[in-house]
Amino acid sequence: MAGNYDPSFAKEVFDNVDSGEEIKMCMQCGICAGSCPLRHEMDYPPRQIFTLIRAGRRDEVMNSKAIKLCTSCYRCKVRCPRGIPVIDVMHGLAHYGIKKGIIPRKGTAAFGGEFWKMIYNIGRIDEKTLPLKYNLLEGLVPGIKSTIEMAPMGIQMFLHHRMKLLPERKIKGIKELRKMLDKAKEMGKGGAN
Amino acid sequence: MKYFLYGGCSLEAGGKNYMVSLEPVCKALGMEFEEIEDWNCCGASISYAGANELSIMTLNARNIAIAESTGGYDIVAPCSSCYIQLVKTNHELKEDAELRNKINVILKEGNLNFKGSLNVRHLMDVLYNDGGIDKIKSTAVRPLKGLKVAGYVGCQTVRPYGEYDSVERPKVHDLLLKAIGADPVPFPKKMQCCGSGIFLTELDRCLGLVKEILDDAIANGAQLISTVCPMCALNLEMYQDKVNAKFGTNFNMPVVYLTQLMAVAFGMDLKKEAALDYCVIPPEGIIKAAIGG
Amino acid sequence: MDKNIGIYICTGCGIGDMLDCDPIAEMASDEYSVSICKNHPFLCGAEGVDLIKKDIEGEGVNTIIIAACSPRVNYDVFDFGQDKIIERVNFREHVAWSQAEKDENTQMLAEDYIKMACAKIGRTDLPEPFKAEEEYSKDILVVGGGVAGMTAALETAKAGYNAILVEKDPKLGGFLAKMKKNVTLPYKDISDTGAEAMIKAVSDNPKIKVYTSAAVEKISGGPGIFSVEIKANGNSATERAGAIVQATGWVPYDANKLGHLGYGKFKNVITNVEMEEMAAAGKITRPSDGKDVKNVLFIQCAGSRDPEHLPYCSSSCCLVSMKQATYVKEQNPEAVNYILYKDIRTVGQSEDFYRKAQMDGNVFIRGSVEEVGESGGNLYVSANDELLGEKIKIEELDLVVLAVGMVPRSLPAEIPKIKAPSDSKEADADGMIEVKPDSGFFATSALNLAYRQGPELPTLKYGFPDSHFICFPYETRRTGIYSAGCIRRPMEVGKAKDDATGAAMKAIQCIEATSIGMAVHPRAGDISYPEFNMSRCTQCKRCTEECPFGAINEDEKGNPLPSPTRCRRCGTCMGACPERIISFKNYSVGMIGDMLKAVSVPEEDEEKPRVIVFVCENDAYPAVDMAGIKKMNWSPYVRFVPVRCLGSIALVWVADALARGIDGLLFMGCRHGDDYQCHFVKGSELANTRLSKVSETLDRLSLESDRVKFIEVGITDCDKVPAIISEFMETIESVGPNPYKGW
Repeated sequence: MAGNYDPSFAKEVFDNVDSGEEIKMCMQCGICAGSCPLRHEMDYPPRQIFTLIRAGRRDEVMNSKAIKLCTSCYRCKVRCPRGIPVIDVMHGLAHYGIKKGIIPRKGTAAFGGEFWKMIYNIGRIDEKTLPLKYNLLEGLVPGIKSTIEMAPMGIQMFLHHRMKLLPERKIKGIKELRKMLDKAKEMGKGGAN
Repeated sequence: MKYFLYGGCSLEAGGKNYMVSLEPVCKALGMEFEEIEDWNCCGASISYAGANELSIMTLNARNIAIAESTGGYDIVAPCSSCYIQLVKTNHELKEDAELRNKINVILKEGNLNFKGSLNVRHLMDVLYNDGGIDKIKSTAVRPLKGLKVAGYVGCQTVRPYGEYDSVERPKVHDLLLKAIGADPVPFPKKMQCCGSGIFLTELDRCLGLVKEILDDAIANGAQLISTVCPMCALNLEMYQDKVNAKFGTNFNMPVVYLTQLMAVAFGMDLKKEAALDYCVIPPEGIIKAAIGG
Repeated sequence: MDKNIGIYICTGCGIGDMLDCDPIAEMASDEYSVSICKNHPFLCGAEGVDLIKKDIEGEGVNTIIIAACSPRVNYDVFDFGQDKIIERVNFREHVAWSQAEKDENTQMLAEDYIKMACAKIGRTDLPEPFKAEEEYSKDILVVGGGVAGMTAALETAKAGYNAILVEKDPKLGGFLAKMKKNVTLPYKDISDTGAEAMIKAVSDNPKIKVYTSAAVEKISGGPGIFSVEIKANGNSATERAGAIVQATGWVPYDANKLGHLGYGKFKNVITNVEMEEMAAAGKITRPSDGKDVKNVLFIQCAGSRDPEHLPYCSSSCCLVSMKQATYVKEQNPEAVNYILYKDIRTVGQSEDFYRKAQMDGNVFIRGSVEEVGESGGNLYVSANDELLGEKIKIEELDLVVLAVGMVPRSLPAEIPKIKAPSDSKEADADGMIEVKPDSGFFATSALNLAYRQGPELPTLKYGFPDSHFICFPYETRRTGIYSAGCIRRPMEVGKAKDDATGAAMKAIQCIEATSIGMAVHPRAGDISYPEFNMSRCTQCKRCTEECPFGAINEDEKGNPLPSPTRCRRCGTCMGACPERIISFKNYSVGMIGDMLKAVSVPEEDEEKPRVIVFVCENDAYPAVDMAGIKKMNWSPYVRFVPVRCLGSIALVWVADALARGIDGLLFMGCRHGDDYQCHFVKGSELANTRLSKVSETLDRLSLESDRVKFIEVGITDCDKVPAIISEFMETIESVGPNPYKGW
């Protein structure tokens, strides 16, 4: 069956996804795919994600593994002959998917969400409580299980002075920071929602 | 030379050995650091799951703006993840006036303003270009003769703008290792990503990346791996057990920070300043053999 | 001219270390009665040149043999005026740098080269430049008044020459004037075509005479003395011109052959030319119902790069479609353009316009069309999307634009047929055969040359009248006639302007060189020309047929009528003539024959074979020089004889050399065939044909055919030269010595 081309999804991406308009410049050379360390784990290489957007395949793009697997190594951005910040586009698509509720808050989406919450709450990251919070997101029982699994590593870190004992405190300017972040959310592409 | 030091969250915890060792090493090279007051997290590479581009940029613009309001020195970021966030924000805001205006509207909420008067630099850049190979050589009173080191660069250390080293064939890490008498081995995977921020959440997919890096270091005869990024150090060191379990391998490769090796070469205390005891996989034996202790 | 010979041997650059120069001087004075023979350690220095000058003044030396470096270098240093005969002997690259030091064989080689030089100057006379009887014209005829033709005329005028511009249409401008907008430097956006301003500039220029609604009826003569009959608006006029630029442009590929893409079947399937005309006329609408256009699909390479249609890329259609997509967006910003392509080819800086087209949000799809169809009054296109890896269908299309390629306006709609030779396998039922595009028989009535070899420029494959596009752009196979713009190869406006400027410059060079009797390239500056001893002509027509440049017409009886200003001085006619009646003052069959006779042939028992290598001066000779510069070694038994072109070789040389006991002959010439590299187009091919008939001669002498070999050597083949020679020497060794030695 022949799939139909539908330009409306491309427009949605250009208008609402951070760095989304940059994909217009893609000439499908595939150097991003050749440079990606997790390409073999992806269902579509980045260049094909861009083709799918052009063709209007919203579901295939938003449900793809590819947009969730960026390690942020920047190699694609460095090498793209058209200067497309591929990494920023992939992050933008993932963010958009999470925001729209298409990508479930599991795994990286959940971890990143907690990460951001912690920044919003205290301005910094507390390395010892973050994984804990993330594990508990999976539910109490599996969370405890994951925590126990990770415990030997934590103990090692602790024994080698690499764990901050005191809980991280809020930065002094947290109120202003939050005001700024609220404003940034509002002013960002596609608005706060 | 005076700098702002942006240590970031990791250098107070998981990357503590980096912080402990870099301070005396930089001091020995005549560098002086001032912390950016009340700094906040850079957002790392994973914040996109919770925030938009502009919000993450705001975090970094705030740090730079605070630095700008208190002094005129370069900002040094030892953590590659912090470095890339700061340098990217600084670069894009300097280039793009429209974006700069937007950010300044946001920063106004905290009475801050981004002017674009400072440079953001990686610690490795500062060691190489400001410290200098000659000075490091002359300070290295206890050279690490013949120590075979795989100088791991990782991804974010030199990308994306290639400010101080080639983004495809970096050489600064190896030159610094040579300056302290060590013997950097050929290491084709020195630029392969370790999995970075999604390591924890995509463990199964990323362990293979770490395995490839360790394999390459060992195949080229390295005795230990040197890094300049707490994320790389953590992923390469702490997950060797899990790699062994998954692939049936037998890795037990020490991973240290470049500054730890430099502290040793500079004749400093192996514990107090080089923080070798912070390493989970002990590097002391190999290092002591090299310095003839 | 009484020749007073001086031989000057340079001992610099290592020559003195490799050779004993004194015995060479003795040999020359004994055998050729040369009174002056001097050595100098640095002959190309001021002191060395002075030494020669003093002998010219004091001793009356007028024939100078310089045994030093290659004639390819220091030709300016060793220039003693047109009234002296200068012969350069290549002691450096061909002897000192490639042979064994102070070796008996090296010495014999050097002596042979001096003997050959002495023999050569014995048959050399000072050439006198040709001067036609008619007065020379310095005006340039430009045929075609499109962007290339107008540019050629304007550039000609700017350089101070008069131009005569002939345009078939009532109005100048060609396709440029039919376009809505143009994309040209710096390729950032579309811009005005500038056609009207250009037409005005041409019309207002006092140095340009314009004929519109005009055709060239007949061109006779040659460079400097062209006579041009023009018919304009029913009136006849005659003009004289010194050189010609043909800029007759292109026609779009016939879309009627593209039925599979829906052309002719659906009204809303149009060509890019029709799209342009519609846009220029005002508004782009659906031809079927005149309604607005919202979704447009461009099919790139419509018929192009397709062996069934136009096998080549027209290099401008991608840019044109992007331009037209811009029109669509300007008309309706909400419109969607799909561009279905094989490869986007926006070369050079025009890549920037591709970037713009991408930024505009046009949808580029790489793939091939499966079907163009209609449903509910709209078109749809099914395609194989290569990058998506799927079959796709794009529906609700208002317009499908076929980006058709450019066909040079030189190829006739129907390929003419001629009577086939009796042994032809390709002949049709009537015994006719299609004329190959490069055979020179195409009549498109652009130039109507009164030339024996046909009325139009011979073309390469696909009908482009170029002669040597790698090395000599604008050159055609008719001297003094240059092609520019889309007649030469498909191109866009910016490139056509560059092209026309280049062709105009070549035309001016030709006029100036011809006026003082000099050849144009590749023998630029040569003042010799072929002379015919007509009393011995047998009217065999070989010279008139084989001249690669159509320089020789013939009368009703078949006598050749040479036009020396059309001549490129390659000597192909000289090699073709079985009666040896054609010769140059400084290049003749007899002259080379004497050189061959000068080569010493040792007795068989000395085991020193002798091989003559005829080398083309244009590519093979420099390749040998470079091998010498790289200090590569080769057999001391070979003697190089440079020839103007292998097309000038005479079979009698083969017979004479073999009869004297020379063991083998090797011919090094340029590549021939479709992608030939011969500077004279057909020379190496003709040589190859002639040599294929040499077996008769060999049979008559009862000699092995292995003794004569033709080999293609390009200018970059210097590394292969020693191996080619060694291999041939091995062959000669295996067939044994020539039994005619000592006869």
